[in-house]
Amino acid sequence: MAKSTQATRKRDQPEPGGDRVSARVRGLDARFANGVHALRRVDLELRRGEILGLVGESGSGKTLLGLSLLGLAPPEAELTGGAWLADTEMVAASQETRRIARREHAGAVFQDPMTSLNPTMKVGRQVAEAAGSVDEAEELLGQVGIPDPDRRIKQYPHELSGGLRQRAMIAMAIARNPSVIILDEPTTALDVTLQRGILALLQQLRDELGAAMLFITHDLAVAAEVADRVAVMYAGRIAESGDPGEVFHHPCHPYTSGLLNSRLALAGLVSAGEVATLPGEPPDPRALPPGCPFEPRCAFAEPACTQELPPLVSAPRHGGADACIRSEEIADQLVPRLDPATSTGVPAAASPASKGGGAPAAALSLERISKEFHARRQHHLAVDDVSLELAAGGALGLVGESGCGKTTLLRIAVGLEDADSGEVRLGAGGAPQMVFQDAGASLTPWLSVYQLLDERLRGEGLESSAREQRIRETLALVGLRPEIANARPHELSGGQRQRVAMARSVIVPPALLACDEPTSALDVSLAATVINLLHRLRRELGVAILFVTHDLAVARAVADDVAIMDGGRIVERGPSEQVLRNPRSDEARRLVEAVPTMERAWHS
Amino acid sequence: MAFLEPVAAGQEPIALGARRRLDLSRLGFAEKAGMVAIALITVVALAAPLIAPHNPGATVGANLQSPSGSFLLGTDDVGRDVFSRMLYGTRTSWFSALAVVGVGAMFGLLVGLVAGIRGGWVDTVLMRITDAGLALPGPVIAIAVAVALGPSLLNTLIAVTVVWWPWYARVIRGETRAVVVRPHFDAARLAGVGGFRLALRHVIPGVMPVLIVCASVDLGFLILTLAGLSFLGLGAPAPAPELGAMASQGLEFLFSFPWIALAPAVVVFILAGAANLAGDGLRDLLEDT
Repeated sequence: MAKSTQATRKRDQPEPGGDRVSARVRGLDARFANGVHALRRVDLELRRGEILGLVGESGSGKTLLGLSLLGLAPPEAELTGGAWLADTEMVAASQETRRIARREHAGAVFQDPMTSLNPTMKVGRQVAEAAGSVDEAEELLGQVGIPDPDRRIKQYPHELSGGLRQRAMIAMAIARNPSVIILDEPTTALDVTLQRGILALLQQLRDELGAAMLFITHDLAVAAEVADRVAVMYAGRIAESGDPGEVFHHPCHPYTSGLLNSRLALAGLVSAGEVATLPGEPPDPRALPPGCPFEPRCAFAEPACTQELPPLVSAPRHGGADACIRSEEIADQLVPRLDPATSTGVPAAASPASKGGGAPAAALSLERISKEFHARRQHHLAVDDVSLELAAGGALGLVGESGCGKTTLLRIAVGLEDADSGEVRLGAGGAPQMVFQDAGASLTPWLSVYQLLDERLRGEGLESSAREQRIRETLALVGLRPEIANARPHELSGGQRQRVAMARSVIVPPALLACDEPTSALDVSLAATVINLLHRLRRELGVAILFVTHDLAVARAVADDVAIMDGGRIVERGPSEQVLRNPRSDEARRLVEAVPTMERAWHS
Repeated sequence: MAFLEPVAAGQEPIALGARRRLDLSRLGFAEKAGMVAIALITVVALAAPLIAPHNPGATVGANLQSPSGSFLLGTDDVGRDVFSRMLYGTRTSWFSALAVVGVGAMFGLLVGLVAGIRGGWVDTVLMRITDAGLALPGPVIAIAVAVALGPSLLNTLIAVTVVWWPWYARVIRGETRAVVVRPHFDAARLAGVGGFRLALRHVIPGVMPVLIVCASVDLGFLILTLAGLSFLGLGAPAPAPELGAMASQGLEFLFSFPWIALAPAVVVFILAGAANLAGDGLRDLLEDT
């Protein structure tokens, strides 16, 4: 074990003799007045010239950790322990000291560049505020790969695309040549192809600048792709850390393994229905268990796990560390078991409708649909003469980059938008339903779950007792307890909201269920659960699924077939597996290349 | 289906009926005082006939008396009891303001909802009409109506309402647009909800907080406007007790018998101030819920 630790340390060194710590936290603990214990004595080091991927689900404390290093933790947070940015300890320091340390040593990039950039200020001037002069700003924009920087500096943030805006943010972050850059979900709001570009840029900047980067993300695959070292966070603790290749191939903590299974299930690499993804939800941060925080969800838990917080110690199967007292015994059982039948990825399509012999009726058929948008005398052809057919009980993934027209087509299919020309024909059955990207926002906030579900049943001519029965059954179908019917959306967790939204869309089984990126904003474990749920709905209700996504890997996990969209047209259509392995069009090839390498590595 | 069951197995954070929507502890002292004052004023206005010691329209004693035990605020130039007239005046002014705001808000809500939900040309037409209404100066319209129909309280109220609703229509239309672009509106449409029910269940509760806040803040302003109009003689005809008219009539005695003008003026001041504070309080109560 000692030997392997040494080997890893060597590999982790960014350059000979340069194993210098740029930032570190020691025993960092954070509590809020409302009882939330967000960070629990965390130790972490950030070394010069490395990208450290900090992975965790929402609420795990990863963002607060980053903010604490920047000295920007909210004043309500009661911090103890230490957080050193270069040589400055940021927890106890005065505001002025923290500001100076931040200016000298740190850069930061956040998720949404639109809210981080001043909309009333030209990009050049904004970058120049950090860089010193507009000329330097122009040079920086070039360095971060923004084409025509001389033109771009004269534009306002809204005139830049999402990817370019994030690059401008990165330019500002590196302007003063910081030794530490904190990146908090910098690619989460971008589609996969833009994400790929940003990740490559970060790696290039790491090599050029030698800065240490803390890359905070909820997406395991992204961390695996970009990071030199990863740390997995759970309920305010580091659960496991080490080399990403080792950690993700030989996880030693059941939580890491659960996350990994979720991600692989999400990518259709393990058959979702059979592999236990992460059950339950993270613990309430106001009432954390005294022992291992993962114990309530852990399949390997034993009484000893509830006794005390497990320390982070050397891992048995890789050169990093893990915080599981049983890791020696169980590590062998944690390796993900890939579905032997990955060649299909999808559990064999067993749609009742198609089994019934004869040619299945189409759940949806679109014929020569076109749709144009007009804005300020500009015409934008969002959907250009698209024809499409989806068999009853089938599942089709509609894949493309942002702005390719896939969401517009989806909205036309369900009738939320009218096409300028063409014909939409829907199969027999309930009216088409839709699962929205932001499930929480798709539930009317002032109505209870019961009212929301009941409303959908109004046209069915059922007695109130029959309706109640139906609501109970549907809640059970999506894995919710009946008591939840009395709650309003804001009282529910993110996962529960997503389930309620799904319950509403299938309480009267529709012929077609349209899904608009329902997983892209979710933590992986939740996303995998959603995919599982879609499979279940399809299997048990025979619902046809039209699934819009920018992630080809996710599309494969859901759909038998994918259609690639670009510029309002469908450029390629075929079985998911075939398109993923052997894309014919350039657009499909670009999307395939954007699938995170971790999955491609698993796949080969 | 191991992945589905555990979530259902007992660790659901269901908060049934948790968190009352109205949390009084969020209010500051001034807001609470404003709301209490509004409640008191309403009670007093309703009970004016019971409380008032004298007939407000009749000469009940010698003119221009100083405040005393039988005439709490003295008498005016024709010997009417200023205190009783003030109570009745409060009644008139307060309920006039409520009526104008109520009718204006209802009409504005209707127009704003239709414009916001329908969009397209309906929106354009309704909003141009609204803009035209906003462009009309309230007092000038009131004077025109008074000239055309003769000065009366009802005519003044109608004139003010005509220029008052467009403001609400504008505000509500904007709020409606904000609700309509939320996914829950599309989701409700897909769930087969339409027409009146869609507006009632999925839009109106979302715009109500803004409407209530606007209306309550507006009351103070409206009381001043109505008092100003009746000060100009555009309200209820002379003998009727009305705060602005009373202030106007008492103006000539301002230096010799100041209570005649000051009593109604102070009530207007308190009403407007209390309505503003209560509006702030309501806003604090309704926000973020």
